[in-house]
Amino acid sequence: MEAPAPLRKSLALLFCDLAGTTRLTAKEGDLVASAVFREFYEHAGRLSGEHHSLTIKFIYDAFLSVFANIDDVMPFVISIERLFAENPMLVGRFAGFHFSLHYGEVVLIETSYGREVLGEAVAVVAELNGAARTLPQEIVVSQAALERMPSSYRQLAGPSEFYEFKRLGKSVEFHRISLAG
Amino acid sequence: MSSISSNPPLPVIYSAGTRSVRDLRTLVSEVAEGRGLRCLRSTGDGYLLTFYDPQSAEMAAIRTVEAAFELLRRSVLRNRQVSEERALNLRCAVHLGEVDIVANDREGPHISMAYLLEEISRASLPAALNPIPPEQFPLQNYVLCSEEVAGILSRRAQQWELSSIGLLKLKGFPGWREVFWCSPKQRKHSSAPVIVKNH
Repeated sequence: MEAPAPLRKSLALLFCDLAGTTRLTAKEGDLVASAVFREFYEHAGRLSGEHHSLTIKFIYDAFLSVFANIDDVMPFVISIERLFAENPMLVGRFAGFHFSLHYGEVVLIETSYGREVLGEAVAVVAELNGAARTLPQEIVVSQAALERMPSSYRQLAGPSEFYEFKRLGKSVEFHRISLAG
Repeated sequence: MSSISSNPPLPVIYSAGTRSVRDLRTLVSEVAEGRGLRCLRSTGDGYLLTFYDPQSAEMAAIRTVEAAFELLRRSVLRNRQVSEERALNLRCAVHLGEVDIVANDREGPHISMAYLLEEISRASLPAALNPIPPEQFPLQNYVLCSEEVAGILSRRAQQWELSSIGLLKLKGFPGWREVFWCSPKQRKHSSAPVIVKNH
């Protein structure tokens, strides 16, 4: 059967990186860590489907999730936070999350290992993640994404900051939105 | 006693997938000694090499990539003369950075980086961002290089084509690292780099 043609589209991209995974592996061992990650992958995958994510790609202690409707992103982020507050296997095992959100054109393709998302926007959201803090818990949102978010979240956004992307040779304007409470 | 090199040598790893390590050592010596080889250390089924150039570290990087392609060329020629069991199939990774010089060895995070680059294979690509399709990544006989080396080659050497294979997380190193597949420019339109066929 022929694979579907690549789909080029402007989408919302959410990147999540778990903090404290090195400590988890050092403290509890790699067997426990891999079981914890399996639990995380299973539930995060389920939640992404429930929140209409087009695809979710796990990269060890991180994931990239893509949404056609940016309004679906924050409910998904909150569900991930809740997962780590309520799931007995996950509670207390991580130092928090780094969340970043960007909006841009990407290509969705089917590959030999599943659906893949490609494009400069992918590199932007992954690099932007380095600006996110866990204390206080927050999400960093590019200006392009913020402009498309519901007004209730736009009102919570902090002042403009800029992230220098040496690799891309440009800077990206972003804002911080607190996830506390 | 260890010391920090003032003019950074270049760590490289050549890894062989066969037991013909002695032949590999001979080939490595032939191609590397005239190009500023400073250290040659066995890693079991391959070698760690570091290079030095009196002009600049950037020239050392270029000499190293030259050595890697010459090594691939010679191993292909050799493979035509030997049985399949004795064929050398190589993966090369080139990185540039400052290293600690110890007797007959080199140490430091840039050495680790070179090893991590050398470990990259098709199986690594699903965990990369913006990866090339795994089927396009060669199984053997190729040269990978780090962002640092790719930057030098793109500025100072026109004979090689650089293709990003994606952004990868390398264990022990923060952030994302873009890794490049280096191939001779005249083979731009070929679908795969050197494929070894035994007679």
